[in-house]
Amino acid sequence: MSDEKLLVVKDLKTTFDTANGLLPAVGGVSFDLDRNETLGIVGESGSGKTVLSRTIMGLQPRTKVSVTGSAVIDGFEVVGASENDKRKIWGTEVAMVFQDPMTSLNPVMRIGKQIDEALRVRLGMDKAAAKARAIELLELVGIPSPQERYDAYPGMLSGGMRQRVVIAIALACSPKLLMADEPTTGLDVTIQAQILNLLDELKDRLKMSVILVTHDLGVVATRTSRIVVMYAGRIVETGNTRDVFYHHRMPYTKALLESSPKVSNHSHTRLVTIPGRPPNLLNLPDGCAFAPRCSYATDQCHLVRPELEPSSEPGHTFACWNPLPVNEEGALA
Amino acid sequence: MSNVRLAEIQILEGSRKKGEPLGILFWICVGWIALNVFVAIFANVLPFQNPLNEDFTALNAAPSLHHLFGADDLGRDILARVAYGSRVSISVGIGAMIIGFGVGAPLGMLAAYRRGRFDAILTTVMYVMLAFPAIIATIAVLSFWTPRSLTKIIIVIGVASIPLVYRVIRTATLSVATKDYVVAAKVQGATDRRILMKELLPNIAPIGISFLLIGIATVVTLEGALAFLGLSVTPPTPSWGNMINEARTILQTNPWLVIFPSLALCLFLLCLNFIGDRIRTHFDVTEVKL
Repeated sequence: MSDEKLLVVKDLKTTFDTANGLLPAVGGVSFDLDRNETLGIVGESGSGKTVLSRTIMGLQPRTKVSVTGSAVIDGFEVVGASENDKRKIWGTEVAMVFQDPMTSLNPVMRIGKQIDEALRVRLGMDKAAAKARAIELLELVGIPSPQERYDAYPGMLSGGMRQRVVIAIALACSPKLLMADEPTTGLDVTIQAQILNLLDELKDRLKMSVILVTHDLGVVATRTSRIVVMYAGRIVETGNTRDVFYHHRMPYTKALLESSPKVSNHSHTRLVTIPGRPPNLLNLPDGCAFAPRCSYATDQCHLVRPELEPSSEPGHTFACWNPLPVNEEGALA
Repeated sequence: MSNVRLAEIQILEGSRKKGEPLGILFWICVGWIALNVFVAIFANVLPFQNPLNEDFTALNAAPSLHHLFGADDLGRDILARVAYGSRVSISVGIGAMIIGFGVGAPLGMLAAYRRGRFDAILTTVMYVMLAFPAIIATIAVLSFWTPRSLTKIIIVIGVASIPLVYRVIRTATLSVATKDYVVAAKVQGATDRRILMKELLPNIAPIGISFLLIGIATVVTLEGALAFLGLSVTPPTPSWGNMINEARTILQTNPWLVIFPSLALCLFLLCLNFIGDRIRTHFDVTEVKL
């Protein structure tokens, strides 16, 4: 049981039926996640990372969406499960931290009550026990004087504090998997680091796994053991964090890395951008979705889509016809 | 260190008191509404004159000791008629809104939360109902549904207000239902009922209350309009609405007849609105008060 993978995703596809045709937001994604592991999912806006994370949670808009493939969380198949069944794993097996702490707390409910809710409803605790546990959780996520904050309304807290409360709520029922969808986007840089360190620390303390969804490579660099790079709804490269950073083969990964600011840059250095824009998912090219923006693209790239193939390092795969040469020096390209 | 902590606790103590104090004006308004309701309920026990009694020595009389608010063109005491009239007006206003909100609000919340076919069908039905102007619809039904009684008027106006309430509540719920905290509650395993009661209802309550108070005001005037067309309670039973309408024709000779029921109506609505507004800001916890 415990050496089994916590999450196994196989050929997961999420297709929206829009007025303009079928939109494959996630187009066949497979990966897995060990217990007590942190996985980073990175990609541009619109690369399907949020839809992927919501699909794994079993959260879809009620209308016009089809999900195929499989996503198994600790033995529970999420795809095709009814709302009632999913409710059994929500909170206790898998929980979610949302992007914007300003909107992910109910503004008219005391924060203590919001943590209590889950404890009393899901774990059947009585009032006093739930309150004690809620205060414990507030303390765990580093909120000063939790006893007093228990009665505060979200409006009385700063963004960073609110995100801590959001994390406390997610942790209430001790989930095995914490899904963090851009958990720091709405926060200042200094607060971002605090929240990420907190997540990291909690992961070890509570022996859970974390999926960190982000567009910011700096966020995943030191805190994840593996990275999944997504483009146009598919995985284009995946591997150990180190391999993806130093031995990436896919030009898109390289472009992503180059487009993040570095401390070593001289001031006034222009950021390298990726030319063009992400493809229209309604009308994906037959070949590699990145080909139109890729400086390495050949005719083959435009005609046939490359599949994921293994690189020299174990667990490192990439989808590219003209991969970058293996960089043995390990220098950041 | 201890100073910092002390200051922090003081801030928390301060912020725990919700909003500003309600203020004296709020209590005056509450008192006025209470007085209105009290008079409406006990009008026949209180020392008013008979509102139907015609005093031919005081036709169109100005306010005097004998007729405090004056008398109308048939010599009926305006004070008594305003007091008795509040019965009809207040019970129509509150009764119709109980029906409107009792049906419209839960349906609107459910439709906005469930979406899909349920929402599509219900919303279409409601919009078809909205397509008939409420006044025309109520006139049509009341013309055929005889003999008229207060209960029937309340039911007809109440039913006519359902789609209006439905639309407002549905829209309000829609904007809340897509917020992250609702999804967050859901992925914590909250049931639909819990989400509706604990996440959605408290967040749409301010809009609901505001609309409720405006609704009461609108209904009271709608009753007046119906009374004018002879479709409300049958004369000579007074209501604020039919008094104002009757008085319209003799406005120049006897202004008292239109002033007092209008004043009663205005003050009633003004107080309701003020109370609603005050309650909303007082219990608003979404913004910190510094």
